[in-house]
Amino acid sequence: MELDLKPLRIGSIFPAALEVCGLSKAFGKNAALNDIGFTVPEGSLTVLLGSAGAGKTTTLRLIAGLDRPDSGRVVMRGCDVTALEPKDRDIAMIFDNLALYPDKTGFANIASPLSIRGAEKSDIENRVAQISSTLRIAHVLNRLPKTMSGGERQRVALGRALIRKPGLFLLDEPLSSLDAMLRIELRAELKRLQRDLGATFLLATPDFSEALAVADSVIMLRGGRIVQVATAQSLYDDPVDREAARFVGSPEINLLKAVYEPANQGTIRVAGASIAGLTRLQKSLPKGGGPFEIGIRPEQLKLSPLEAAAIQARVFDVEPLGLKSMLTVKNEEAEMRLVIDADSARGHVVGDAVGINVIDGNLLAFDTVSGIRIA
Amino acid sequence: MSVPKLEIINLRKVFGNGSVVAVDGIDFAIEAGETVALLGPSGCGKSTTLNMIVGLEDPTSGDIRIDGRSIVGVPPGKRNVGLVFQDYAVFTHMTVFENLAFGLVIRGRAKGEITRAVHDVAELLGMQKSLKLPAAELGGSELQRVAIGRTLVTKPAILLLDEPLSNLEASARLAMRRELRRLQSEIGLTIIYVTHDQIEALSLADRIAVMNAGKLQQIERTSVICEKPDHVFVAGFMGSPPMNLLRGEIARDGAITGFRREDLFIQLPPSEIVSSGRAGQPIILGVRPESLRLALADESMIFGKVTIVEPRGPEAVVTVEAGAISLKAVVLASGRPQEGSNVGLVADPSSFVFFSGETGRRLAS
Repeated sequence: MELDLKPLRIGSIFPAALEVCGLSKAFGKNAALNDIGFTVPEGSLTVLLGSAGAGKTTTLRLIAGLDRPDSGRVVMRGCDVTALEPKDRDIAMIFDNLALYPDKTGFANIASPLSIRGAEKSDIENRVAQISSTLRIAHVLNRLPKTMSGGERQRVALGRALIRKPGLFLLDEPLSSLDAMLRIELRAELKRLQRDLGATFLLATPDFSEALAVADSVIMLRGGRIVQVATAQSLYDDPVDREAARFVGSPEINLLKAVYEPANQGTIRVAGASIAGLTRLQKSLPKGGGPFEIGIRPEQLKLSPLEAAAIQARVFDVEPLGLKSMLTVKNEEAEMRLVIDADSARGHVVGDAVGINVIDGNLLAFDTVSGIRIA
Repeated sequence: MSVPKLEIINLRKVFGNGSVVAVDGIDFAIEAGETVALLGPSGCGKSTTLNMIVGLEDPTSGDIRIDGRSIVGVPPGKRNVGLVFQDYAVFTHMTVFENLAFGLVIRGRAKGEITRAVHDVAELLGMQKSLKLPAAELGGSELQRVAIGRTLVTKPAILLLDEPLSNLEASARLAMRRELRRLQSEIGLTIIYVTHDQIEALSLADRIAVMNAGKLQQIERTSVICEKPDHVFVAGFMGSPPMNLLRGEIARDGAITGFRREDLFIQLPPSEIVSSGRAGQPIILGVRPESLRLALADESMIFGKVTIVEPRGPEAVVTVEAGAISLKAVVLASGRPQEGSNVGLVADPSSFVFFSGETGRRLAS
């Protein structure tokens, strides 16, 4: 037997970096957060995912101590910090709106948290060199913020927060003001940095692709409540309800009216077609059958020759996306999105009749009224 | 042959006392009804180019022609180009109708003409029912629609869109992209679309002009540019993630020719590039993340440690590192490896693309 020599991570013996219990907060009559509770393990990257107004920033501010909760507790490494001042919480917070010292160089900006604490000059230099090479901003260390690009300023702000080694980093949409390209590049670096430092990150974002790319664990917020806690992949594969399925994935999941007819050889009627043989879905649907809403990811639909296709429709829109294309098709019953190879999309123009088959795989089913996942 | 709608001829813009070259001698032409995306990282010169076309900046040298006539020196208001910014310029104290009518009102057009033009544009944008609403009540994508409508009402020869969707939420962006594609096909506008987001460029443009450091690196049909980047910068920019680029040299070992970079040696099948290249010639090997697949150690091109796995739904982007080499591969989510595990990667050599190690230009194969 091979020995696993990786360092042990025993969450149950060492207290979590952060534990939030029953946190609620209202602003006036509006409840911003409603009984939130979750745990952020030491050394993990946990993401708060939700659209604007879901409660992400409020959660971060309560954890940082910038606002007081109406009820609930914030516990760090086993110590209740709910009553502590922000400065006594051993937390660094990184916002999207970056406030750098305008009259200080990149180096002085990054070094400032250490300089203030009177660290050794050589220590400071080593740390700044390390952080700035990871963030690829060595070339701006001697420059003032006004001569830096937006992306460079953002990375200097990140560097300044990362140079300290607090028990917890709170990152509020840290990449949202960057170029699309830089954002994708930097999020991988952010994750690497977090691993290398062994730091604990709690990152808030409205961008599901960012959440999937970086998260060990995703906490999905909606209207001030937690709706799902899951790993990145299961958030996509196993959404808890219709809204979660719609929020995660691009192009958006196809949500279509469907009827399950167990008596009719287990046929599922959807998009004007009667489809048999979707066995995995059939097995988990309620035995009695009836109407439901089927969730089909765009990659689970494929073009087929008309004579061999279950669903017939017309092309409504072709959106090239590089190596892939998104096809939107319509018939009397439904509108559907498919992701296909760009080569095969090129043969299709708006108005073309096309045939479509559903791939029996990870199909989802939701209650038509409540939107709760039923299979 | 007809004159192009817009011609950019050896256009330069130098700021300060000649110290900053923002646009460094670019040339391209756009046909009537065509949509061209200017794509590049921030600071590449795309917005300066746009500003010169609009007339907000004067070129240092070179020419800009619309329908064959130079517009350099013509005041912005008389160029007949419409501009829509990312920060939608909509008057929130006015109704949608008043906003749409604004450009014609200040031009002193007759009331009947204005009403007709506004209704035409409102119909085009599906906003007939919102005309009486105060703009302050509209959401982000509707505001952007009004901003575009305000410009369309004046019937510009060329519509210039400067990052028009970047302030919108993801779902609204998708809808607006579809809307813009529909507008293009219905009214055949000539459009220049400035963006740093390649998905927008790919989804809307007939051709993409990739800019870097003030230069035009490549202008090519959208369907071709991802497959055939002709410069290493374009290869490293297009695609998500972009092409893996490995700097190395041509190596020969008897009859076997290959690509070498330190310890890594990849045997290459006979081809013109390989046979005409001399041993030691610097070369850049490009391989798309989509072309790499996981492999067993003995059949793999490179064997290394999985440092990052980034799920993105149906697939995952896997970063594999071996020594100083780092490659990204796109694999199906169901087959993704664990972070920290060791895996091999392999690609069909026919999917390799080669660039000159000296000029960065693509080597024809």
